[in-house]
Amino acid sequence: MLIRAMTSHYRRHPLQLLALALMIVVATMLWTGVSVLTGQARESLAVSEESVAAREAVVRADGQPVTVEDFVTLRRAGVCVAPWLETALGDPARRVIGIDPLAMACFDVPPAGDSAVGVAGELTGDPFVDISEVTGGSGRAEQSGQLSLLISPDTEFLPEGYQRRSFQLGPATGELADSFLLNLDALSLLVLFITGLLVRSVYHLGLAQRRSSFALLERFGVTKSRLQRLLAMELTLLTLICVVPGVWLGQALANRLGQGFGLALDSLFDLSLYAGEDTPVPWQAGLVMLVLVLGVCLVDRLIPERTGYQSKPSEPAVLPWWVWALMVAIGVEMVIWAFSLVWVFVGTALVFTGIGGLMPGLLARSADAVARRQSPGAPLGRWRYRELAVMFRQLALPVVALQFAMATVLAVQALVTTFEDTFEQWLAQRLSAELYVEIPESASAEGGSRTLADLNGLGDWHHVRRGKVQLPDINAEGEPVTTDLMALSPITSLVTDWTLLESVEEPWTALSSGGVMVNEQLARRQGLSLGQRLTVGIGSASLTMPVVGVYADYGRPAAELLIDGAGLPDDFTPSFQSFSVNPGERSVKDIGQRLKDEWQVADLVIRDNASIQALASQVFQQTFLLTRAISVLTLVLASLSLLVMGWVFFSTRSWYFHLLGIWGLQPDAVRAQLRRLALLLTSGVTLVALPLGVWLTWVLVSRINPLAFGWSLPMAVYPGFWVELGVVMALIGLVIAWLIGRQLNGQVSLRPGASLAGGGER
Amino acid sequence: MSKIRTLMLLVITLMLAACSELSGNQGFAGLAASVDNTSDDEFLQPGPGDPLTFPGDFGPHPQHRIEWWYLTANLETAEGEPLGLQWTQFRQAIKPRPADAVAPPPENWPLEAAWMAHAAVSFDGQHQFAERLARGDVGHAGATFAPLQVWLDDWLLSEPSTGEPWRLTVEADGWGYDLQLANTSERVAHGDNGFSAKSFDGQGSMYFSLTDLDISGTVTMDGTTHQVRGKGWFDREWSSQLLKTGQQGWDWFALHLDDGHKLMAFRLREDEGGRDFRSGTWIAPDGTATSLGPDQIELSGEGWRESETGRVPERFRLQIPDAELDIEVVAPEGQYWNAGLYPYWESPVTVEGSHTGVGYMELTGYSK
Repeated sequence: MLIRAMTSHYRRHPLQLLALALMIVVATMLWTGVSVLTGQARESLAVSEESVAAREAVVRADGQPVTVEDFVTLRRAGVCVAPWLETALGDPARRVIGIDPLAMACFDVPPAGDSAVGVAGELTGDPFVDISEVTGGSGRAEQSGQLSLLISPDTEFLPEGYQRRSFQLGPATGELADSFLLNLDALSLLVLFITGLLVRSVYHLGLAQRRSSFALLERFGVTKSRLQRLLAMELTLLTLICVVPGVWLGQALANRLGQGFGLALDSLFDLSLYAGEDTPVPWQAGLVMLVLVLGVCLVDRLIPERTGYQSKPSEPAVLPWWVWALMVAIGVEMVIWAFSLVWVFVGTALVFTGIGGLMPGLLARSADAVARRQSPGAPLGRWRYRELAVMFRQLALPVVALQFAMATVLAVQALVTTFEDTFEQWLAQRLSAELYVEIPESASAEGGSRTLADLNGLGDWHHVRRGKVQLPDINAEGEPVTTDLMALSPITSLVTDWTLLESVEEPWTALSSGGVMVNEQLARRQGLSLGQRLTVGIGSASLTMPVVGVYADYGRPAAELLIDGAGLPDDFTPSFQSFSVNPGERSVKDIGQRLKDEWQVADLVIRDNASIQALASQVFQQTFLLTRAISVLTLVLASLSLLVMGWVFFSTRSWYFHLLGIWGLQPDAVRAQLRRLALLLTSGVTLVALPLGVWLTWVLVSRINPLAFGWSLPMAVYPGFWVELGVVMALIGLVIAWLIGRQLNGQVSLRPGASLAGGGER
Repeated sequence: MSKIRTLMLLVITLMLAACSELSGNQGFAGLAASVDNTSDDEFLQPGPGDPLTFPGDFGPHPQHRIEWWYLTANLETAEGEPLGLQWTQFRQAIKPRPADAVAPPPENWPLEAAWMAHAAVSFDGQHQFAERLARGDVGHAGATFAPLQVWLDDWLLSEPSTGEPWRLTVEADGWGYDLQLANTSERVAHGDNGFSAKSFDGQGSMYFSLTDLDISGTVTMDGTTHQVRGKGWFDREWSSQLLKTGQQGWDWFALHLDDGHKLMAFRLREDEGGRDFRSGTWIAPDGTATSLGPDQIELSGEGWRESETGRVPERFRLQIPDAELDIEVVAPEGQYWNAGLYPYWESPVTVEGSHTGVGYMELTGYSK
C-alpha cells in the first residue's frame, strides 16, 4: 500500500518519471561515451605516437651503412637488434615498413597472447610488412630503402665497431600530446560535475512536486526516516535500471563516433591505429554514474538540517550573495597566482561554485529590474520578465548546470581549435625545410656548407648545430645553469617566417647582429624579457647578448637558446649537426650524392620532412576528432536537459500561460509570448555562459599548461562558435515553446496548488 | 618503455598472424593443434624404409616441413641437488627446398623457414624458460652437420672437432648454461629403423636418439653458478606432419632407469572417442633397442595439476608387460610450463614402481 502511495505521483505524472529516467540514461550515456572516447583518444594517441616516436638504432662506427651481415654479427653476439626497412610500395605508392617480426621477439615483450595486445585492435599488415616483401625475398619487391637496425632499449652491450644512434621517424610530440590529454582529463571531470548537477536538478524538481504526497503520508503515520529510505530505494532502483541502457548506448555512441575516427586513421598509414575496437563494456563508467546519481540526489539526506523534500533544494543560494562573490574573487586570485596545478584546480572549483551560487539570483534580479523598467502600457513585457525571474529562481540548479555545460563546450571547442592551429604552426616551423640531412660525425660541416653553397638552383638551407652551453649568472643560487643551444647559419627564410611569442623590431637581423633568442620554457623559468642581456658560456668563450625574441617550443620540456651560428666561438663542439635544405631545382638524389662525395661516406641519413609533417599532423588531427565528439556529447546532454527541464517547468506554469488566454490574448499571441519567454530563458543562459567559457579556456591554455609543461598556448576566442551555440539554444527554446503551446491547446490547465515545483510563486 | 614493448608485441603477434604460413592451426613444429596434408603439399613425407644417413641427419632437412634438435638432462649440482635442463631448436619450413637448391641470398631476408629455440632449467622449485625466434637463411639461425653446429643468435650447440664432446651454451635473461656433452653409446633408431609412426594411418617422423650423454658444466641462476654433472638424452626428429587431424597433443617420456635400461615412450592423444596412438623404444643396458607397438604400452594419466596456463596430469602410470615394467612417472612439485608462443609442459620426472630412475616428460596440447 505504502509503495503504491509512494509511486502514485509517477503514475499520475509518468512524464516526470520518464524525464528523470531519460536524464539518468542520457547522463550515463554521456559519461560512458566520454570515458570510452577519452580512453580511446589516449590509446590511439599512444599508438600513433609510437609510430613516429624516437627509438635507437645501431650504426657502424666506420660510417658505412649497416647490412644483413651486421645484423647477423650483432645477433650472434647476443645483441637484440631487428631490421627496419622503410620504403614505398605499390601503385599508388604507399609507405610501408619492412620488419622481421621474428627478430623483434627479443624486444623484451611478454609472450604473445598477453592481454596487452587487446587494446590496440589489429594491425592489417600495413605499414608493417614482412621485410622480405620490400627486399625481393618474396618476389614482390619494387624498390628498397635504407636498412636500419633497431636496438632493444634493454640492451646495454654493443660489440666493437658499432654505435648507438637515435632513430626517429618524426618530431617529438610527446609534451604536446601529454598536455592535450591532461586537458582532456580535466574536461572529463568537468563533464561529470555538470552531469551531476543536471541530474540533481531534474530529480529535485520532481521531488518538490511530490511534497504534498509526502506530507499526506506523514499524516498517515509514515515516519520521515522511512520515507527517506523508500525514496533512496526508489532512486537506487531507477538508477540501476537506467544505467544499463545508458552504458550500452554510451558505448555504442562512442564506437560509432570512434569508427569514423578509426577509418580516418586507417587511411593515414593503411594501419589500424584506432584503439577503440573490441572495447569491453565500460561497466566502471556505469558504477561511477550510479554513485554520482545517488550521491548528488541523496546528499541532503546526510545533512540533518536540510531535510530533503521539505526544503527547496533547487535554490542553492542559502548563503548570502557576498559569500559567493568572495568565493569567486578568491578563486580567480588563486588561479592567477597559483604555483601548482592543485591550486589552479581548487581556484577553478571555487570560481565555479561561487558563480553557481551567484548566478540564479543575479539573473532573477536582472529580470526583475528589466520588468520594473517596462512601461505600464506594456503589461505583457512586464509579465514576461517577471515570469523569467521566477524561472531563474526556481530553475536555479539547472540554469547553473546549463551555464557550466555551455562554458565547457565553449572551452573544449576553443582548446581543440587552438591546439590544432598551434600544432600545425609549430610543425610547419620546425619542419620548414623539405629535407633534413644528418651530418656524420666524421664529416666536415664546413665542407658540407661549401658544397651546398656552390650548388646552383638549391633553395634555402641552413646548418644546424646543437650542443650545451652555460648561463653563469642566471641561477638564483649563483650556480651556473646548463642549457641547450641551437645555432643556425645562415639565417634564411626557413626561420624568418617563424611566429615569435615576443620579439624586438627586426628580430632575425638583431639575431645576426649578436642577439639571442630563447624558447618559452627558458624565458618563463628564468624570467627573461626582451632586451635583457644574457651572458652565455659557449666553449671557452663567454658571450653577452641581448634577448631579441622568445619562440614557442612545444615538443620538449628543455630550455633552449638560439643564436646565429656565425657567432659561435671556434672551440665550440656541437653534439649534433645537420642541414635543413629546400632542394629548389635540385633533386634529392643529386644533393645527397654531392654531400656523400664531399664527405666520402657511403651512407647518409636524409629525411623527408614533408611526409613526416603530413604524418604527424594527420595523426593528431584524427585525435582531435574525438575531443569534438566529447564536446558534441556534452552539448547534447545540456540541450536535452534544458529541453526536459524547460518543458517540465513550463508545464507547471501552464495555468498562468492559460490565464493569458483568459485575459483576452488570441492563441497565436499566447504562443508568441511563450516563444519570447523561452528564447529569453535560453539566450540568458547562453549569455552568462560565454564569459565563463572564455575564462575556462584561459585557465586551460594559460595557467594549466605553463604550470604543467612550462609553456602556454596562445589564447584565442571563436565568436563564430558562440553564434552557433546561441542558435542551438534558441532552437531548444522554440521547441519548448512549441511543446507548451500544443499542451495549452490540448487541455485546460488547472490552477496549480502551491506545492507544484514551487511553481506557485506569482 | 612500456609503450615500445606494447608496440613491439603488437607487431610480433600480428605479423606472426599475418604470416599465414606460420599460423593457422599448425602452431610451430606441431606444438599447437594439428593440420592435415594437402594434396599439393610439396614437402617430403617420411615413410617406412626411409634410411637414416650420418652424419648428414644431424643437419637440417629442408625438404621436410618440421624438425628439431632436442636435449634433456637430469643433472646434479655439486651439492647433490637435482637439476633438470632442456634445450630445443626447431625449424619450421614455410616452403620446401630441394636438396640441391641454393639458399636465397641473405640480403633478401627470405622467409622460407622460421627457427625457434627453447631453453629451460628446473631447479629448486623454479622453472626458468626462454624462447628465441629467427627466420632462416639470414644467418643468425641455422644448423650444419659437418661440423655439427645448431645455433640461434648466441645460443649454440657445436662439436668443436670430430669426436670431441659437444658444447652447448645458452645465455638467457639472468640465467644460462655452458655444458660439455660426451656421447657414450650408439645411436638408437626408433620405430622401423628410424621411421617412427605417429598414428594408425601411417603418418610419422624420422627419429633417432643419443640416449647416454655424459654431461658436465655450469648452470648459472640468480647470480649463482652451479657445477653440474649427469645424464642427458638427445633427440633428432624430422617430419612433414607430426599430428594428424583429431590428435590433440602428445605425452612423451625419456627415462633413464637405475638398472641401466632406457625407455622412450609416447602417446598421441586423440579427440574424444578416438583411439590414442602409443609407441616407444625399450633399450637394454647393452644398447639393444626394441620397438614397442601400440598394444605393448599402457599409459594413463592420473589426477590434475592446475595452473593459469592449463592443467596436466599429475602422474602417469606406464606399463610394458613384455618388459615386466609397471611404473609411475611423477613430476616434482611446481609448474613446468614452457610459456612461449605455444605453451607446453616440460619437466624432469622421477620413476617409481617396478623400476626406479629419472627422466624427462613433455606434454603438449594441454594449454588453455
